[in-house]
Amino acid sequence: MSSIRVNPYPMPDLLAALEQLQQQQSDATLQLATGSKINKPSDDPAGVAQIIKINDLSSQVDSFQRSISNISGQFSTADSTFSSVVTALQRALSLGVEGANGTLSDADRAAAATEVTGIQSELLSLANTSYQGQYLFAGTATTPPFVVDPTQPSGIRYVGNTGVNKVTIGNGYQLQVNVPGSQIFNGPGADVFLAVNDLITGLQNNTGIPTAVTELGTAFTYVTGQRVFYGNALNQTQSQQTYLNTQSLGLSQQLSSVAGADIPAVASQLVNDQTARTAALDAIARATQNSLFDYLK
Amino acid sequence: MSSLFGTLSLATGALAAEQGAMDATTNNVANANTPGYSRLRPVLIESDPVVIGSLVYGQGVTLQKLEGLRDPILQLRIQEETQQQGQLNTFVSAMQQAQVQFTSSSSDIGSQISNFFASLNQLSTDPTNLSLRQGVLTAAGNLATVFRNTSGNLTQQQSSLDLNVSQAVQQVNTLTGQIATLNTQISQLQGVNQDASAFIDQRDVLIGQLSGLIDVSTIKSDNGLTLTTSNGTALVVGGQSFTLTTQTNASGLQDVYAQGADITSKLTSGQLAGLIQVRDQKLPALLSNLDTLAAGLANALNTANKTGFDLNGNPGGNLFVPPPLSGQGAAANLTVLITDPALIAASSDGTAGSNGNVAVLSGVQSQPVAGGQTPIDYYSNIVFGVGNDVSTSSAELSSSQLVLNQLNDQRGSISGVNLNEEAANMLQYQNAYDAAAKVVTTINDMLYTVINMGTLTG
Repeated sequence: MSSIRVNPYPMPDLLAALEQLQQQQSDATLQLATGSKINKPSDDPAGVAQIIKINDLSSQVDSFQRSISNISGQFSTADSTFSSVVTALQRALSLGVEGANGTLSDADRAAAATEVTGIQSELLSLANTSYQGQYLFAGTATTPPFVVDPTQPSGIRYVGNTGVNKVTIGNGYQLQVNVPGSQIFNGPGADVFLAVNDLITGLQNNTGIPTAVTELGTAFTYVTGQRVFYGNALNQTQSQQTYLNTQSLGLSQQLSSVAGADIPAVASQLVNDQTARTAALDAIARATQNSLFDYLK
Repeated sequence: MSSLFGTLSLATGALAAEQGAMDATTNNVANANTPGYSRLRPVLIESDPVVIGSLVYGQGVTLQKLEGLRDPILQLRIQEETQQQGQLNTFVSAMQQAQVQFTSSSSDIGSQISNFFASLNQLSTDPTNLSLRQGVLTAAGNLATVFRNTSGNLTQQQSSLDLNVSQAVQQVNTLTGQIATLNTQISQLQGVNQDASAFIDQRDVLIGQLSGLIDVSTIKSDNGLTLTTSNGTALVVGGQSFTLTTQTNASGLQDVYAQGADITSKLTSGQLAGLIQVRDQKLPALLSNLDTLAAGLANALNTANKTGFDLNGNPGGNLFVPPPLSGQGAAANLTVLITDPALIAASSDGTAGSNGNVAVLSGVQSQPVAGGQTPIDYYSNIVFGVGNDVSTSSAELSSSQLVLNQLNDQRGSISGVNLNEEAANMLQYQNAYDAAAKVVTTINDMLYTVINMGTLTG
């Protein structure tokens, strides 16, 4: 009896092997089902820490994108408001120029004065434009910024404030989102409402029309200049949107390189495990079979 | 000179010895699947011969004893590895349970932190919008809830581990009692020079079970077996066992006492050590980290909200119920203080439409609010720690399992019953028995011849 005795109980080893195969199979199946090789922190602790940070960055990028789409609406509305203001002022200017020629009859001038008065109301309403309840040209005030006030030389008073809001649309990137109405419509020496009011008075009284036209011309140029802010802001949000899209794509690529399961590898591993498991089961089934006792008659 | 009767008794002696050997085989076959059973081997020796004159007469065979085959050193290694495994197994399964709380999902702490700051970004685009303000409050509420739930679940797990500690202590006491009883039986049998193999096997099984629970050192002495914990606390001395007790400590958890001394922190392996390690070290550390994060976030956001003005133009107040100064219990009790969305201090100058203070609130996202780290960095480190504990200890568990399997293989190769071997032995004993029986028959014939001798001559 010098030969080495082997453990006659192979079962625990076989069962341990089987259990390990089953564990591998269930891990592989989970990876295929989720498409992710990290399904719990212990799968890759450092990877999980990275994933948490990537997800946080993604969430930030998403929220910047939503902010951009919110403020883009404001910018578009403001820009089209400016476009209406410009059209209205152009009409007022041409009426003024006609009036200044001295060729108009009194009736025509009265009619022109009435039309410019209409334009005045239109401008007031445009200056009080709101977007989803926010007055675009009120600074950070929340009531209509321009009100009729006969005591004012222009007949209109600014009741908004000079507050400016900024919205974060990128990491450390804050974009100014409004220009206070006083800065747009009541520029120094370029008060739109005063110029329009002077033109109305001029047309009505047939005096000082050319001065009023010059005044309106200055105001027109000034307002057009203010419009540039909104055009720029729209451009900036668009290019930031493009940048954020790239960043978002980059983050999802990072995520899939950290967490993404190698599907072909996992699938073939699963097949291998299945084969090994069948073999292990077969071995277990045979392990308990025949001993010498079976051959004793 | 020998006599026929002498030869007859020699042959019947052989029959008895072979029958005894057959007993060993039968017992082995019967116990082929008994855990911890060590196979028996008949020890047959040649009987002392009788010398008469110049002749030496063999006196046949004697079955000296049925010897149990075991390796005590190997048994010790198995016990040690079982202790190691008991500790790792418990540690891994408890930490796996804990890491569920930190598994990435759309509603884990990390996501809720991100969601909260995202809701602030939305508010900045329209600071008077009540539904955006409500969005911030809801996100703050979700953040508080996930902190409370995570912390609560970990505390609950701590209590259930505590219950397991008490149960394990009871099991230890039951086992040490049984081992002491077996010690008595074994030394009684050995005292009269009898084989105590069956009891030793049973005791080895019980010591194995005990090893799974607590660190055990085995000392063999003349008066039996002494079991102590690795720090020297006696569990069993010969026929006497010493029970472990539990006492509630200041944290409301059960400490383990042996003969009046607190041995809770001195247990190094076995299930008890694993339970205590998670209950007293890992979970409290996790809970305290969550507290640090919750308190850091709540304090920073409260401070930020106070620098601004609410929708009504009043100075901002606390957003969250201020956490305790020590930070202890901050996560478990994190609660949003305000219910009126107008009270979020978005404005930096008191005008309703200003969003200037939202940036201050959002700024907390990149402030070192906990352990010198931003909220997300701190949280990701917590999760890394949990994941790392599980993956490291799982690897240790696998290798310990491998070692234990190998040791058990080794034990099996020495003590295990091989049915082929037993069948071969059975045939061998059967043949010898047959032969001895044939000898008896032959001697019987010879005696018959002797008895009938007179008749033949007459």
